[in-house]
This record gives sequence, C-alpha cells and structure tokens, in this order.
Amino acid sequence: MTAARLLRIELRRNAMPWILPLIAALFWFDSYRPSTTQSAFWVLRTFWNMGQGHTIIDFGPFVAGVAAWMGSRDGRRGMGDLVAGTPRSRWAAQLATWGATAIWAAAAYLAFVGVMFAVYARQGLAGSPPWWWVAVGATAVTAFSAAGFAGGVFFPSRFAAALAAFGGFLAMVLSSQTGFGHTSGWALILPTNSNGNFQPDSGILYPYLPDLPIARIIFFAGLAVAAVAVLGLPARAGGPWLRRAAAVVALAGAAAAGTAVWLAGTARLGPHGLVIPALHDAASDQLTPYTPVCRPDTGVPVCLSPAYRRYLPELATALRPVLAEVAGLRGAPSSVAQTAATYSPGEVALGQGMTISGRPPVLGVPLGALNLPGAFGSTTAELTGQLQLLAVHVIAGAGSGAGTPAQQAVQAALLAGAGTPFAAQPGALTNYGLPSWAQADLGALTEGHQSRRGPGAVAGPVFAAAQRLAALPAAARHDWLAVHLPALRAGHLSLAQLP
Amino acid sequence: MTAAGVHRASSGAAPVRTRALPARGVTRMAWLYLISRRIPAALGLLIGVAAVLWASLYWRWNIVGGAAAQAVIPLTLEAAAAAVIAVTTYGPFGETERATGRWLPYLRLSMAVVLTAAAVGALAAAAAGGQLPGGTLAMLRNVAGLTGTGLLTSVAFGGAFGWAGPLAYLLITEGALAGTWTTPWMWPTRPPHDLGGALCAALVFAAGAAASTVRGSRDHAVRLTRSRVHRS
Repeated sequence: MTAARLLRIELRRNAMPWILPLIAALFWFDSYRPSTTQSAFWVLRTFWNMGQGHTIIDFGPFVAGVAAWMGSRDGRRGMGDLVAGTPRSRWAAQLATWGATAIWAAAAYLAFVGVMFAVYARQGLAGSPPWWWVAVGATAVTAFSAAGFAGGVFFPSRFAAALAAFGGFLAMVLSSQTGFGHTSGWALILPTNSNGNFQPDSGILYPYLPDLPIARIIFFAGLAVAAVAVLGLPARAGGPWLRRAAAVVALAGAAAAGTAVWLAGTARLGPHGLVIPALHDAASDQLTPYTPVCRPDTGVPVCLSPAYRRYLPELATALRPVLAEVAGLRGAPSSVAQTAATYSPGEVALGQGMTISGRPPVLGVPLGALNLPGAFGSTTAELTGQLQLLAVHVIAGAGSGAGTPAQQAVQAALLAGAGTPFAAQPGALTNYGLPSWAQADLGALTEGHQSRRGPGAVAGPVFAAAQRLAALPAAARHDWLAVHLPALRAGHLSLAQLP
Repeated sequence: MTAAGVHRASSGAAPVRTRALPARGVTRMAWLYLISRRIPAALGLLIGVAAVLWASLYWRWNIVGGAAAQAVIPLTLEAAAAAVIAVTTYGPFGETERATGRWLPYLRLSMAVVLTAAAVGALAAAAAGGQLPGGTLAMLRNVAGLTGTGLLTSVAFGGAFGWAGPLAYLLITEGALAGTWTTPWMWPTRPPHDLGGALCAALVFAAGAAASTVRGSRDHAVRLTRSRVHRS
C-alpha cells in the first residue's frame, strides 16, 4: 500500500470533519464577532483574533482533543499486536493518521481565516492583512494536533480526547495569563502575547515586522516535530535504524523549539515592533510610500495617509481653531502631516504626542497612536479634544514633558480659545490614551485637587495666568504671542511674565 | 425464515427468568456497568482535576484582570470535570446492551447523578486550597450546568465527543465574562445566589440527565453504519 493511499484512507476516515461545524460556530462567535467593534483597519480588526491569538484558542483545544482520539484508536480497540504485524512500520502508519488529522485541522484553519479575511476585505479595511500571524496560527494548530495525537498514542483511553482538549485550553489560558504580564523575554514566544508586536501603524505606514512570528513558527514547528518523532521511540514503532532516526528528529525538534524561545528572549522593542537581531531584515524597517490626501481649504494644509482619509475632516476641523490662533507666528506650523506611530511596550500604542519639525515648520500628527472613534468606545468629541490638547501642548513648546508653568498656562489659554472652556479642561486632560505629561498638567491646572470621583476644579496660579491671557482680545493675544512665543517655546518665560 | 408468529419457547429450551434480580445480581450488573463505562478511571480523573484546582488556588494562578477574569481557571477545571462525566456515557456495546438491559436507564441516571455529586465533592474539597471565586455554591451550579451540556452533547454526538459541549460552552462563557452579557443561560457570569442562573443550570442538568437516561449516548457504530447505508 502506497503512503499516498494510506493517507487518503486516513483522510476519509478521520474524525476531524465531525468537529469542524462546532469550531466554525465558535470561530464566528469568539474570533470574528468581537473584532467588528474596532475601527476599519486591518491591524485593529485583527488585534483580537490574530494579535491575541483567539483563533488559536478557538481551534487548538478541539484539534488536540480529536487528534488524541485518532491517536488512541488502535490502543482503545486493542489492535496493537494486530497492526504491529503489517508490512509498514508502526511509526509510518501513525504518521499517516496524524498527517491526515493535521491536514484537516490546518486546512480548516486556513479556510476559516480566509473566509474571515474575505469578509474584512469586503468591508474595505485600510492597511494590509497580518499574513505572518496566519502562518503562526496554522503552525500552532498543527502543533496542537501533534501533541494531542502523541498523548492519545501513549495514553489510549476514551478520556484521552477530553484530557488533551482541556489540557490544551488550560495551556492557552495560562499562556494568556503569562503573556499579559510580560513585555519582554521568553514569554514573547507565547501565541497569545500581543505586547509590543501588534500595533498601529503596522500594515499601514510600515510593514508588520516578521521577526517574532518567525520565532513563533520555529517554536511550534519544533514542538510538532518533537511530538511526532517521540512516537517512533518505543520498540514496537519500528527497527533500530528507524528508532534512532526518530530520536534524532525528536532532539532536532526540541532544539528548534528551545532556539525559538531563546530568540524571543533576545527581542528588543523598535519603533515598528519587536526586533530579533538574528532574524531581522533591515528592509522591513522601510516606511510604506504613499501619496497623501490633503485638505487645503483650512488655511493651513492638513495631509494624511490615504488609509486615514476618513479622519481628514475631523482632524482639519479640530485643528483649525488652534492653528488660527498662532497663524503667521514665527515657529508656528505652516502645514500638518501624518507621522507614523511608534510602538509602545504594552498592548496598545497610545501616549504619543505631536511634533513640530522642519523648515517651514510642519505639525506632525501620529494619528495611529490616538484613540480613534469606535476603538475601545472612543467618540469623535474625545478625538477632537485629544487633537487640540496635543497641538497646543507642542505649540507652547512643552515637547514630551509637562512643560514650565508658563507653557502650561499658555496651553490652557490656547485650549480655551480653541473652544474648550477652563472648566472642561481637567476632564480633557484625563482622556484615555494621552501621554504621561497630561497628569502633571492636570495637577498644575487644579493645584493637585483630585478625588475618586474625578479631577478637581481649575484653581491656582497656572489657571489665574491662563485666565488673564485668555481674557485678552484675540488680536492682543496674537500680538503678545508674536513677541513672546520663541522665548516661551525655549522655556525662558516665567508665569509672572504673562500678561 | 423469520421468527414472526413464534410466541412460545420450544420444548427443551431453558426457561427465561423474568423475576426480579437478586441483590447479588444487581450488584454484579452495576459493577459490570461501572467497568464498561470506566467509572473508576473517571473517579481518578475527577480527583486529578480537583488536585489541579487545589494547586491553582493555593499557588494563585490568577488571570490578569478583574474578578470575572480570575474565575476562568476554576471554570475551566469545572468544565473538565463535566467533560469527564460526559465521556463516561460512551458505551462500546451499542445495540446488544440496549436490547438486553432493561435496567440500563436507571444505571445511566444513577451514574450521572453519582458522578456529578462526586465531582462537586472533590472540587469543594479542593477549594480548601484558597479562595474559590463565587464559592462552593457557584461551583455546584457551574458543575451541574456544564455536566448537563456534556450529557446533551453525548446524546447528540456520542459519548466519545461528550467533552466538546462543555469546552464549547466554556469558550462562549470566556467571551461573556470579558463582555457585558447578563443572560442567565450564561450562569457562570451571574452571582452565586442568582436564582435565574441557578434555575438555568438546573434545567440544563435535568435536560441532560433525562435525555441521557432515556436515549443514552449516541452510538458511534450506529452513526457510521447509517452513513454507509446512505452512501450505498
């Protein structure tokens, strides 16, 4: 009997197809449905199901259970002696059974993910799909099938399937627990760990870095090879040469998995994701070129990547009153352009400020790092408040820090002039996703008054100076800024020097 | 040739004993049933699951997050216990057993109830290792409901795949715990003293036990035979 025929028979008589309808229903419920609440970007829609590995959680335990059932088949039926007498070695026959099981599982995984991605594509998501994570998922599912199958072979019991399935699920639960708490080190190898490796603007302004997915593929492939090779070790598996070969393959698989864990431990966070020096290709660091889409009708041209086109009106509307206050001043931005969000160590790339750079000065907006409407319950009003706050902060020259009291006062006055009254500013400074300086600015504006119910009311010298500046007529405020903005931005102005 | 119309045994045939089984016979029948369903192994596994629960509580294998997230590991182990009970319904004898054993429904019901009680007892004892989220009452409700899903799955798809029901329910519950679902059919998300959740869990257990008692787990061999007949 040829190996191909044996595989065909095992494919036909496999139990895996029976469980696929159930997995399909769970896949829709647990992997696809929660993702639809996110903004229409590939990296955000697939964060839950690919970045946090929910497609693997939905597939892996069931695949391990059914594979254990297939692996325990001969043992449960007491056919060990009978099949040991067949021409082919026991290991080869077991490989055929496992191969059929793994083919069903991996093919179903790819098919389900393919359908999900096709639905996403029809929804017109911006960016590109995370193909490397699909390869990780398919390899992980294969590893689950190998581990479950080996468990079934060595513990041929009717309970083997249940134990393999729940063991797999418990492993994924513990993987989630460990993954959430580790932003570096060996735990990055865990498929549920999304820390520092699945954030905007991956797939939009720069490519997904393949370093960590490659390490994970090596890890799962190594585990799968080791689990399957272990089946060739017992005396009944075959002749001495075959068993020696199985031992070598098992060791190679274990070594590959161990190497992958070590590689993950060497990862460091770069601006576009986790970089593993041994696997890194410098070509992955290039920004994706694009022709910006602009709104020139706002006085100061506002330009974005075409992927963020839908946010152009909101951005232009939010920045118009701020830019109008400083229009024509030395050092004030003459245009607005999108900058690529840089990666944060945690799960989301938040807490990034705007920049002013170049000649003529350009206001750089890391839109991908902001809490866009729809993501995590954020609203358009919150985005507007966030954009205005970040803009006045950088215009006042505070940079990435909290700024001097004078800069904080000018920031508050400009914000009031842009339409956010002083009373609402403490709330605006507590919006989710702001840089860490927002807390210090809040403390300065409220004299540190804060309770469990929220931030206190505006008070203190920073607020008094801001109130004085804001009380000036717009033209007088503009004239004062024209004289003092360079000194303010350099941090040379004290609170007492404000009008 | 058929046996239609034959109502009397031929002369010389051994008389069929129709009177009630003596106590020894009942004990032997129950023991054979226990062995055929691998009940001793199941009891060992339930103790093993309880030991893992004890370890998880003692060494605090908590999931990062709120109270709901911290209930995931105990819930996983409660579902594993329910899965073990569901798999015990798998019987290798199929039609032969059904045709000859009129005590079979009673044995099925007894075993489902006894094993559920054993699981609850073992897990309650394991709760001494630390603080079980929701306490023993919530655990009782969860185990009963999950066992019901397991028994229903074994009736629908066969005892060998009885574990798939509790695992699927667990995955759905995981999503519900992370979200804001409040339906009592997701009883693990409800407080321990919630009547709606307890009623739903009890109802699912009763439905599972009743279906398993009357029908037994779906016979894999029968299913395969049917599919072959359809193919031919």
